[in-house]
Amino acid sequence: MKSQNRTSALLTGLVVLIGLACIFPFFWMLRSSFMSNIEIYQYPPLLFPKTWKFENYPIALTIFPFGRYFLNTLTITLPSVFGVLLTSTMAAYALARIDFPFKKVVFALVIGSMLMPGTVTIIPIFKGWTALHLSNGYIPLIVPAFLGGGGFNIFLCRQFLMTIPKDLDEAAYIDGAGKIRILSQILLPLIQPVLISIALFTFIIYWNDVLGPLIYISRNEQNTISQGLANFRAGYGTDYRAIMAASVMSVAPAVVLYFIGQKYFIEGIVLSGLKA
Amino acid sequence: MKTSGRRNDTLAAYLFLAPAILGLIFYTFLPIFGVVGMSLTEWSGLQPPTFIGLQNFKEIFTDDMFFPYSVTSTLYFALFTVIVGTLYAFVMAMLLNQKIKGRGMLRSVFFLPYIVPSIGAAIVWAWMYEGNFGVINYGLNLIGLDKVKWLGEELTATPALGVMTVWSFGNFIVIYLAGLQGIPRAYLEAVEIDGGNAWHKFRNVTLPLLSPVILFNVLMSIIVNLQVFVPAYSITRGGPNSSTLYMVYYVFRTGFQLNRFGYASAVSLIFFAFIAVVTAAIYSTSRKWMFFEGE
Repeated sequence: MKSQNRTSALLTGLVVLIGLACIFPFFWMLRSSFMSNIEIYQYPPLLFPKTWKFENYPIALTIFPFGRYFLNTLTITLPSVFGVLLTSTMAAYALARIDFPFKKVVFALVIGSMLMPGTVTIIPIFKGWTALHLSNGYIPLIVPAFLGGGGFNIFLCRQFLMTIPKDLDEAAYIDGAGKIRILSQILLPLIQPVLISIALFTFIIYWNDVLGPLIYISRNEQNTISQGLANFRAGYGTDYRAIMAASVMSVAPAVVLYFIGQKYFIEGIVLSGLKA
Repeated sequence: MKTSGRRNDTLAAYLFLAPAILGLIFYTFLPIFGVVGMSLTEWSGLQPPTFIGLQNFKEIFTDDMFFPYSVTSTLYFALFTVIVGTLYAFVMAMLLNQKIKGRGMLRSVFFLPYIVPSIGAAIVWAWMYEGNFGVINYGLNLIGLDKVKWLGEELTATPALGVMTVWSFGNFIVIYLAGLQGIPRAYLEAVEIDGGNAWHKFRNVTLPLLSPVILFNVLMSIIVNLQVFVPAYSITRGGPNSSTLYMVYYVFRTGFQLNRFGYASAVSLIFFAFIAVVTAAIYSTSRKWMFFEGE
């Protein structure tokens, strides 16, 4: 028994050690964001700043308008989350609950599109938006979210809708409810946890997107956080205290969201990897 | 009554599916035709495209000094991240599945890198890898090893970016852990009763039962990692000596920076075939090592 306790303590120690290594980059970013450039470039490196330079943040903000970028990113992300939830549940409902001609074909195509590597088609899609004179702005970044929300989300919602007994729909139908009411007022509340997971992951994907804004946004005042940070680093490559402060600001919203919605993040990722 | 009800159902179904079908048309099918069509043209984006047949492909395979780098570096990156990443995720999941304290919190720690913006993470990693002042080289010095120019050497740049990428895919740890926790205790106990040790349990129960989960996640991970972009764009800019000129970054550079849209489309198309072949190869060998329940 005693040796079992010892292996358990040893294992815990090992995992904690690897865990510390895993959060080390975050610590390093934070600690650097409070240092002077001289301290950052010191070798051997210091563990903590000698004096904490809180002014690095206001300095960074003079060239890195975080508030502006934050709102820009939100302007893309929030409508996209809405679009994904709306159109993926609609498609999932049709696939789970209605019989119609060519259902199997549609289903296969929707699922097959999951495997399509999105980066292969960036050029024709960009050219399409250019032809519509819309290639410079947020529209090309938001519209895809309203076009089904991705095969994977449709599939996930469909799987969960299938587990709900059809008696519920029928009872509501007899009471005079139409399809839209059955979906929105009866079925969707029952699969709420899945919807929350989808919403959180969609949020993170759009929030962290790099390639999309890089292609479709050219004016600095329209930049997202990630893009603003990339440009900031490219332009002020050696002013590391300000770059680190800006990096901390860019990482913070996702970390906060993670700790609020942790349970749904974990559940969502388990669903994505096991149930598919 | 019955037939009109069915017709209404059909109409309703296609209305509900309309956004998804439009997505399939405008974001999958037309772009695929588009990429094929554009690959046969020369197109700067300013003038209308001119048809040049297979000229682009000829140039890619005979005259393009960057293309071979972009193929080998992408393959190197994908192999590295898939192998190291799967081992890392699986071993960590096995460790977290033991009787250890604070498992929930530790799981959160490993998962956290997955959700943070990759540019922010890339900036701090690049600084940690820095050759003269970087903390990773300091660690090497401490144990008596020499400094390495991680991002400045052709051989080490991709593994360095790969380690950063593996770190950011903590989601796989969570997935494998959930898979491990789903293995019925009775199976493991049966091995114990038969006198089997931990290795027997792993080899005869854990691994076969998890093989479908592993296959699915290896496939997902390879598809994602073949499309690597952010590390090359934000840290190495394809260097040193094109050793991190990954495919998507190459397409981006050729198309959006050099305005050679026809040529970039041709590269995209080859890239597409490349992903399809790699994915199919893994999938087809999987029959040998996969265990299907009920077989």
